[in-house]
Amino acid sequence: MKRKGLRFYLHIYRKILAQDIKSKMSYRADFIISTIGMIFTNISGFVGFWILFRNFPSINGWSYHEMLFLYGFSLVSITPVQCLFDNNWSLRQQVYSGDFIKYCFRPINLFFYYQSEVFDIKGLGQLAFGIGTIAYSWSRIGLAFTPLMLLKLIVFLITASLIMIALQNAAAATCFWIQNSFYVLDLAFRFKDYAKYPVTIFSTVFRFIFTFIVPIAFIAYYPSLVILRPDEIPLLSWLSPFIGIAFFFVSYKIWMRGATRYSGTGS
Amino acid sequence: MKAKRYLALTRAGVIEALQFRASFIVMVIGNLLYLIVVYFLWKAIYASAGSDVVSGMTFSDTLVYLVLATALFNFMEMYAVWQMGRDIQSGKIVLDLLKPMEYRRYLFWSFTGTFIMQFLFTFLPTFIVVAAVTHGAIPLGINILYFMISVVLAVSINYSIDFFVGTICLYTESIWGINIMKQVIVLLLSGATIPIAFFPEPLKSIVYYLPFQSIYNAPLSLLLDGSPSAEKVLTTLGMQLFWCVAMLIISKAFWKASLRQITVNGG
Amino acid sequence: MAGIIEIKNVTKEFRVLNRREGLKGSLKDLFSRNYKTVRAVDNVSMSIQQGEIVGYLGPNGAGKSTTIKMMTGVLEPTSGEILVNGCVPYKNRTKNAENIGVVFGQRSQLWWALPLIESFRLLKDIYQISDSGYDEMMKLYGSLVDIEPLLHKPVRQMSLGQRTLSDILAAFLHDPKIVFLDEPTIGLDVSMKAKIRTLIHALNKEKKTTVILTTHDMGDVDALCRRIVIIDHGKMLYDNDIEHLKSFFGSYRTLKVRVDGDLAAQTQQIQGQYPDFSVTCDEQEEWISVLVDEDRQKVLDVLSQLQKTHRIKDMQLEEISTEEVIKKIYEEGVR
Repeated sequence: MKRKGLRFYLHIYRKILAQDIKSKMSYRADFIISTIGMIFTNISGFVGFWILFRNFPSINGWSYHEMLFLYGFSLVSITPVQCLFDNNWSLRQQVYSGDFIKYCFRPINLFFYYQSEVFDIKGLGQLAFGIGTIAYSWSRIGLAFTPLMLLKLIVFLITASLIMIALQNAAAATCFWIQNSFYVLDLAFRFKDYAKYPVTIFSTVFRFIFTFIVPIAFIAYYPSLVILRPDEIPLLSWLSPFIGIAFFFVSYKIWMRGATRYSGTGS
Repeated sequence: MKAKRYLALTRAGVIEALQFRASFIVMVIGNLLYLIVVYFLWKAIYASAGSDVVSGMTFSDTLVYLVLATALFNFMEMYAVWQMGRDIQSGKIVLDLLKPMEYRRYLFWSFTGTFIMQFLFTFLPTFIVVAAVTHGAIPLGINILYFMISVVLAVSINYSIDFFVGTICLYTESIWGINIMKQVIVLLLSGATIPIAFFPEPLKSIVYYLPFQSIYNAPLSLLLDGSPSAEKVLTTLGMQLFWCVAMLIISKAFWKASLRQITVNGG
Repeated sequence: MAGIIEIKNVTKEFRVLNRREGLKGSLKDLFSRNYKTVRAVDNVSMSIQQGEIVGYLGPNGAGKSTTIKMMTGVLEPTSGEILVNGCVPYKNRTKNAENIGVVFGQRSQLWWALPLIESFRLLKDIYQISDSGYDEMMKLYGSLVDIEPLLHKPVRQMSLGQRTLSDILAAFLHDPKIVFLDEPTIGLDVSMKAKIRTLIHALNKEKKTTVILTTHDMGDVDALCRRIVIIDHGKMLYDNDIEHLKSFFGSYRTLKVRVDGDLAAQTQQIQGQYPDFSVTCDEQEEWISVLVDEDRQKVLDVLSQLQKTHRIKDMQLEEISTEEVIKKIYEEGVR
């Protein structure tokens, strides 16, 4: 048997991705409407943000543009979950109807095979919004722009994105155990809306919860500190890439465990 | 026995809702978490504002408003657009159209079971807790009656909007896109996420003349005003009644026209 | 010689929720739940040789799919041993998957929106099929079925028959050692059924692929299987040649008649006339069925006798169905 390394999987992913995009193009109307929906979501997010800051010039020592940076950071770091792991949303129906079984018969990693099936292009619009927001707030805050800073930003964005992916994986995997897991997934997805606030607004107990148990503070707050407050970077910020990786790994294990446990409904 | 027929749907909904114990618990936890985030966020916002009253609302006003808006949202959101979209895509709609009751009514009544459950298990407890904790932030008097009338109208308006948007699914496969647009617009413009009092002036007046504020803002402003003037009660309820009738007519007409077109074209 | 599939004393149990009925029951379920253990597969053993086509039969819920899921490595048996191609499937799911192909009823495993050829190309990469192997297989397919019009059609636009055909082709594409077919002909018209049977038969002959076929259609079994295994309530009832089975039950025909007069009374009367045959009545359809053993008495004789004693309004003659064979085996065992 040939070993299936990263190259094999990248190759397969590229192929499936290309096919998926091709087939999405055959549903043009859906693609356009979904993209408009996505733009709406982002615009309304901005409008809400703007309305809030019209009334309050700063929150907890965070200026408007710094908050905007956090916002942009969170938008970018939740893009991968939107684009690459969107099939998690249909996991529940697939398990419920028994169709999930078809993924179990292929000689490749089950998690990979399942997630590879859908690539959500409309998430790219969000990415553009997020990058634009980061760039705008970056210049307004007057941060220096060096290659090192850019590298830091990219590394921290990628690892931060793993947190949201982990949350969604774990939430989606609950459908292997409980029947109507939509609420769990919906709940996990709602966490992304809280990620854009500085965790310091919370009391100690919740700061702990949002740092270690439901680690949404790592989606934007801790990694952003590395860029925004270079003089006083807490240890947790430096740890955030590792925490991202660790949580992703744990969620992957949970997902696979659920899938193995899965027995299929009906006969 | 017409009423009996509808009550049977209600009963089935209640039973269905009870089947999913885990999702129930998750939903309660989810709401609690959301409220916690809202609480800390606005506390930080007010702490940074420097004054106790912003745009005519104190911290406790805002909080009570948002908490009840969330509770109201959970109670009123019935994912009717999703249901219609799925029914239409799967072709199940044809069977539903054959049922000896109007589809619009059938759908509404099949949601009532969930309505009742949500009212008893999310709205009522939230209401009682808020009333008890805040000691009189919710005045208890004639306003409760106005509130109840207002909520009934709000439910009807909300359903009409959902039904209108759901009808669009007859034309496009893009349920997600349609639904997300509706949700985003309704949540923002109805004052469910940010109280309308905070909106800047021109926007505020525009929003006031749209149907959306009748869903969350109208009932809540009646509830939180201990002694509303007769004029306020009449204009608010009058406005709601207008939208209730208008949306009912519009959504019904749109459904009828669309259905005719679909049957002519052979869907 | 060890078979390609070796199953020894395999048992699989599930824990299922006992739901109570009605509004009150649902409320009770909210607070206390009561589970029961269901034994889906009960102490099953069998050995299957390379190249065999085995019909795996049994009524709905008999445990067929559960067994197949265990053989494919999706489920872990509660107890017992399974070896497929020399390894334990659930411990080496991906490795096992390279050597098997699966078609699960009406659930297509192909990419819904893609033309078939693109699905094939993806499978070629996933299973790491060599170019020559792929070309050879495509050539073989071309000689067996009219594949051209299918290749460029998206799967979602195919008819059920075309989809099933495509799924079967996809399952054989990587030249697996074993192919599991779960009700491949369900819901298809007669000519499509025949086409699919011919295809399976040819592929089995050409590639020496072992085929495990579950079905409710006796026609599938007749056309393809020499050996059948019957399972009911998780227990194995029969594992032998189909000829062997037919020699027991092949002589049975069901004669259905509709007669004047009270159904129950008439049924009793006919039973009195033929104490050796089982006589049943279907109250809804008002049929009286007589299971006739033709070794003892010809069906037509029975009919002509009945015609003398009863006024027959309508009659039907049926082959003994899988369901009846299994029922008979279940009731009487294998003689």
